[in-house]
Amino acid sequence: MISATEAPAHGPGFLARKDLGALFALVRDDGRRLIGPTVRDGAVMLDELDGPDALPEGIRESQTPGRYRLEAGRPGRLFDHTVGPSSWKRWTFPPTVPVGTTRRDGAVVAFEPATPDAAPLAFLGVRACELAALAVQDRVLLGGPVADPDYAARRRSALVIAIQCTTAASTCFCTSMGTGPEVSDGADVVLTELDDGFVVTAGSRRGRELLERLPVRLATAEERDAAAGGVAAARAAVAANAGVAAPGLPSRLMAALDSPRWADVAERCLTCANCTLVCPTCFCTSVTQRSDLAGAETLSERTWDSCFTGSFAAVAGGNFRSRPQDRYRQWLTHKFATWVDQFGTFGCIGCGRCVTWCPAGIDVREELAAIAPPPRAVVTGMHLPAVTPAPDEAWLRPARVVATHRETANVTTLTLAWEGQVPGAGQFVMAGPPGFSAAPISVSRARRGAIEMTVRAAGPATAALTALGHGATVGVRGPLGRGWPLERMLDRNVIVVAGGIGLAPLRSLIEAIAAERERFRDVTVYLGARTPRDRLFVGELGAWSAAGIAVTETVDRAGADWLGRVGVVTHLFDHAERLPEGAVAAVCGPERMMEATVEVLRARGIPDERIFVTLERHMECGVGLCGHCQLGRFFVCRDGPVFSIAELGDAFGREGL
Amino acid sequence: MARPRLGVVKFASCDGCQLTLLDLEDQLLGIAEQVEIVEFAEATSARSAGPYELLLVEGSVSTPEQAEAIVELRRQAAKLVTIGACATTGGIQALRVFADHDAWRASIYPHPEWIESLATATPIADHVPVDAELRGCPIDPGQLLEFLTATLLGRRPRLPDEAVCLACKRAGSVCVVVAHGEPCLGPVTRTGCGAICPAFGRGCYACFGPRETANVPGLRRSLVVLGNAPADVDERFAGFTALAPPFARAAAAGLAAAAATGGDDARR
Repeated sequence: MISATEAPAHGPGFLARKDLGALFALVRDDGRRLIGPTVRDGAVMLDELDGPDALPEGIRESQTPGRYRLEAGRPGRLFDHTVGPSSWKRWTFPPTVPVGTTRRDGAVVAFEPATPDAAPLAFLGVRACELAALAVQDRVLLGGPVADPDYAARRRSALVIAIQCTTAASTCFCTSMGTGPEVSDGADVVLTELDDGFVVTAGSRRGRELLERLPVRLATAEERDAAAGGVAAARAAVAANAGVAAPGLPSRLMAALDSPRWADVAERCLTCANCTLVCPTCFCTSVTQRSDLAGAETLSERTWDSCFTGSFAAVAGGNFRSRPQDRYRQWLTHKFATWVDQFGTFGCIGCGRCVTWCPAGIDVREELAAIAPPPRAVVTGMHLPAVTPAPDEAWLRPARVVATHRETANVTTLTLAWEGQVPGAGQFVMAGPPGFSAAPISVSRARRGAIEMTVRAAGPATAALTALGHGATVGVRGPLGRGWPLERMLDRNVIVVAGGIGLAPLRSLIEAIAAERERFRDVTVYLGARTPRDRLFVGELGAWSAAGIAVTETVDRAGADWLGRVGVVTHLFDHAERLPEGAVAAVCGPERMMEATVEVLRARGIPDERIFVTLERHMECGVGLCGHCQLGRFFVCRDGPVFSIAELGDAFGREGL
Repeated sequence: MARPRLGVVKFASCDGCQLTLLDLEDQLLGIAEQVEIVEFAEATSARSAGPYELLLVEGSVSTPEQAEAIVELRRQAAKLVTIGACATTGGIQALRVFADHDAWRASIYPHPEWIESLATATPIADHVPVDAELRGCPIDPGQLLEFLTATLLGRRPRLPDEAVCLACKRAGSVCVVVAHGEPCLGPVTRTGCGAICPAFGRGCYACFGPRETANVPGLRRSLVVLGNAPADVDERFAGFTALAPPFARAAAAGLAAAAATGGDDARR
């Protein structure tokens, strides 16, 4: 990655404005597309530039909440503006990129990942806050267990020419977030504009080599002073703006999840998603499919999405964030609180785009001050350690259906021939038939050479999965996520509670225990189903009992032929005198059922640290890159889906999170 | 395997949405290979009264005859899909519900007694159950193709119910509300058009109708704060989807204000 600013051997240089064309020519000679600011449709936009004439000469902006206008700036200056609605993520993380193609020719199915478009870029006019934004996205998209290959290719190739701010908009608050206005690191070349040219320094070897090829002379002391004075003026201007009391903000904000202000802001918020799309760090995406009419070829594309849309946190049969106040709270708490837990920095870099480009003029600074008012604030800088890119995750690979078993009217177990890593109990895979989006499916049984997925037909994609026959090909990725903590259950009593399809991920746990039964103490399985006809794995219950696992069943509604217990699954505990000593519980079912079960287990003396649940959320990527499944400080796909209640804390069972 | 039987029919409408299907010139032959087009008056003289596996319905119900016909068509259609602003919200002709129907009819036709029309123009879904909707005036060819493709494959068609703003920002257009103070209805309007109007510096006029969670009061307040006259903002809702429930109140207020000041033409 890019190193800290290096002082050139002879101090800062000076590049005359008339020689800026030479920089454009050099960059083009190097085979790069040059992206920089230009005026389009009444705003300073970042577009591909032909030459210095395209830069916004003598232009300044007036920016206030919900309002943006161009004005006359200092004559001749090319960078007298601050930041417009577009950000560099349009080039490092474009709005739509292909991720892969599925081709079907008869029974032959091929999944081909897309090749990143690696045409090298040069960014001219990157501000300090925007360098911080790039570093934040580096941590999100390159710093996790799985790196985004498309982002990695674009980002690594980009030459970054920064510009020091010498003005500020009223919406700027970089000094609050510790990201500016002074450029510190992350740039190859740093420019500071004066009336007749630029004071230039190199920030990397690549930058120094570029400067050596330009008509740069040593800057005079007056020029250096003028440059420093310009940046100081910008700092003074930002400091005079309203800001954000960043120190301690995450804990203050998370303590205010029930603030009445969320409902108040929801009256004004249009949930139009503009704030998230102009934000240079927001990274949430969805994957969509486009097929030809015959269904022979399907292109999957990744598109910018937003936590403000209605479908963002929706799953089959429900939506975790249906209310506008839930969506605003998700966005604000992610930017200013849970982002810190996940990535070690704020998700906000203080550029003010979300303030200016909110059509309703909602100002995050004002909302934060109302929701999480500051104590006596001491502003400190943002710390951005270097990022180590992780190995790239492959795209879908084919897996063949080798057996199917109808469990109930709408639940089917598919057996897939499986190569590679054997999923652990409670892990999941992303799976979908060719031409469909992949859905998160828990693995209900895993052994070398084959895995089983037990799928309920809840929507068209899962219906298509359950309809697959022997020999069909499925696109899969995985195993993914963190499964059941078997090691925590060794030499302990184990309680397993399943509701409906929730038994699928628990079956792999029960079988793992049965395989080494002597390593566990009493194991009790409580099963709940809606009706006797909705019971899963009926033929296997005897084998579990034979392995020394106590199985108790109940159904919500019984028919005449049911002789067993009737009632919700938590009532089964009423029949148990007391739960076994020191037990560890594993629970899976509808979220309301899990909440009720956890309450009962707690009341019976099992501490939160030993109660584990597995959560269902909207998932698109399965590796913590798309943002859909966020729950407080977790991505359910990457950090879960199995969590202890102690880990989840207040996030468990809270509406709208 | 027999191709599914496709019908295309119309009620009160301009035929523009049907033309969107005809305009899919590059794909039309491919579509005809996948489905059997048995009823499509714009394209073929072959007629069929059904049954249809898929029936595309354009237009709103604005005569007593139409109110009867749609009930029979629903019986004939396994899947009934409404196409366009008229069929999904009532269309521009639904503005009659905000006016005196008899007075309008008398002012336009020399023999109003020969005209048999309802006092309302209502969406198809007010009369029969509808399986899916393609919005817009006219519908978007990409959405139509996506709907047909997904339906043939059996997957859920991608017809997002989010705001126009997302498409506008992805396209890299400058927000006309923030940069120019234009009254744009994009934040409360369903996407699907590709955000065409803002790309040409014009505000959205909601021809795709309301998105999910359309905060109309919030947008009205914002547009007024940004310098628009309240009556102008309201009148903007009195267009192609005025009868859609989230818009109807603002549309009625806008029309009333326009009438009070001597009508649209007089004010301009």
